[in-house]
Amino acid sequence: MKRRGIFKIASAGVRPALAEGEQVVVMKAEPGQPHRGKVFAAVHAHLDDIPCHGSGLSAKLMSEGYTGYIVRTSNDEKYGGRSTAENILSNEQEHIRMGAAVGFKDVFDFYYQNHEMSGISYLDLRGRLILIFRLLKVDTVISFNPWGHGEEDPDHWVTGRAVEEACWMAGMPNDFHEHLLAGFQPHTVTERYYLCARPGQPYNRVVDIGPHIEKKIDAIVECKSRGNGNRGSIVRAELARQGKKLPLLGNDDRTADRAYARQFLLDGDRECGRQHGLEFAEKFYYIDQRRPAALKADEYIRNNAVSL
Amino acid sequence: MAGGLALGGAAAFQSRPARGQQSNLPPNVVPSAYAVPKSKFHASLTPDYHTYASDLVIERNQPGKPHQGKVLAAIQAHSDDITLFCAGTVAKLVDEGYTGYLIRVSNDEKSGTSVGHGVVQNEIDNREAAKALGCKAFSFYYRNHRMDDCAVIEIRQRLIFLFRLLQVNTVIVMDPYDHYDENPDHIMVGKAVETACWMAGTGGGREYPEQLKAGLKPAQINEKYYHCRSPQGHNLINRVVDISSYIDQKVRANVANKAKGPAGDSGARLRRELAKRGRKLPLLGDDDDTANFQYTKTFLMEDFHALGQQYGLEYAEAFRYIGRERDHQPAVRQYVEEHSAPL
Repeated sequence: MKRRGIFKIASAGVRPALAEGEQVVVMKAEPGQPHRGKVFAAVHAHLDDIPCHGSGLSAKLMSEGYTGYIVRTSNDEKYGGRSTAENILSNEQEHIRMGAAVGFKDVFDFYYQNHEMSGISYLDLRGRLILIFRLLKVDTVISFNPWGHGEEDPDHWVTGRAVEEACWMAGMPNDFHEHLLAGFQPHTVTERYYLCARPGQPYNRVVDIGPHIEKKIDAIVECKSRGNGNRGSIVRAELARQGKKLPLLGNDDRTADRAYARQFLLDGDRECGRQHGLEFAEKFYYIDQRRPAALKADEYIRNNAVSL
Repeated sequence: MAGGLALGGAAAFQSRPARGQQSNLPPNVVPSAYAVPKSKFHASLTPDYHTYASDLVIERNQPGKPHQGKVLAAIQAHSDDITLFCAGTVAKLVDEGYTGYLIRVSNDEKSGTSVGHGVVQNEIDNREAAKALGCKAFSFYYRNHRMDDCAVIEIRQRLIFLFRLLQVNTVIVMDPYDHYDENPDHIMVGKAVETACWMAGTGGGREYPEQLKAGLKPAQINEKYYHCRSPQGHNLINRVVDISSYIDQKVRANVANKAKGPAGDSGARLRRELAKRGRKLPLLGDDDDTANFQYTKTFLMEDFHALGQQYGLEYAEAFRYIGRERDHQPAVRQYVEEHSAPL
């Protein structure tokens, strides 16, 4: 489906995994609010997943009219450099701040145990996602590619798999039918953007995030417990102890964190953008399951039905 | 611990023979469990043994509608669990003001002429049994006899959702500590309900907070009736409910179970069999409805009559009842008030 702001190009210098005949589509900014009324959910396992791999797309979609929500499935207890308990707290608080920085309307946290998610009941996880998709009437998700190779982190693939299954089951009235009693109607999620979270994972969309790079940096610098969001201020403090400074990092921690992120943490986006003639870009495997306005069968029946 | 508790309150039952046999228990040994008397028809709808708490209470009919505004969830693995073992109590509580829900967790696929038929007929039966008890019906459809393969945490999640949605105050469910229960569905459901009850009400919104964002409110479930299973059961009981006024409703709920359980159309089938042999049983009357009702009441409810007779009741059902936890704060405040002194 070709829409305004979307350009198909042959891949140059990179070899995305595409189906035969499929081309990489470059998504540029769309004028106005073409997505007004639509809802997306960015579902990640850890504080820094969406900030690193999909916050540019998130900011773009919201600027074009989407309402965005973010869901974190793990408790991130393994990251933060403090006790397990303190890590859970710091990641929780940073997730809330990151969500606000990007502009998500609400933040959900499930707190499954970090790195242990291959041992949870993912039926439980799926059920919770189905409720959220129905509650928020989610049209589009951004999450992990459950089929992406090279994925070492069980939290990623369990989350991705549960999201994929929840997307279509949310539209089935006999799945978790108690939700219907509560007034939440079946609602299928029809568009999916799967992250390229590991090298070599497939993509078929390149999203121009140049206009939204400041939002992406906003997101990254809130990820202090994991994601190197405060690396700039740490380097600045270390240099100060040695009686040195790096002009790049400026004169305060906030400036240092943002400058560090811009200089060192966006190389992947910069390289992806360069390959497609853009300043910065994120890659996704996009799946569109929107129904055409009229099915061929409906059209045939309409055109061929005759009086008895 | 249970055996110790039982000693004081159960002295009257010590000499009761089990199933018509004299006990060979040595005279200097006090039993820690007591054989439950059976009817002459041996329907086996009460458990083999009870252990009695010393503070056992007989719950009798209450005038008016003392439970008006409260919500009861009767939760069963199978379409015949509540109806057989505690439908009288459900009918009583609904009559006394509760809004009742009959929630079935399995799909009952193992009873029926085919799996598909079993699922459909039991769905209908659950609905009809609920109607007979004045309840609304709900089913989850987990696979029958395979629930130990289910994720109990997912069942719990769904129960918490329902408890919050319906604002349940009281549950009736099979005792999750019913010893020697052979059916995995019973154990899974009992444990899921037990854990869901308190988690549905935890303050602060940390259990499934997305449900609260969806507008649901925590549920305060302060009363639990754990019912016995039979015949394998060995249950601790501390409450006996007088169901004498509700026995006919219990019978009708059981007659509604066509695909499962010993009631259903058994009376009508017997009547037809006799007719083929040129005979009739006056008890069964002249139509199928009467036959089913009389068969069920006469042959299947007698165990509950035998149980009731122990307490001077016409019919009874027995439970492990768990009520509201006592709040110790008022007593602490009172103590502080009475004993605090000027500095």
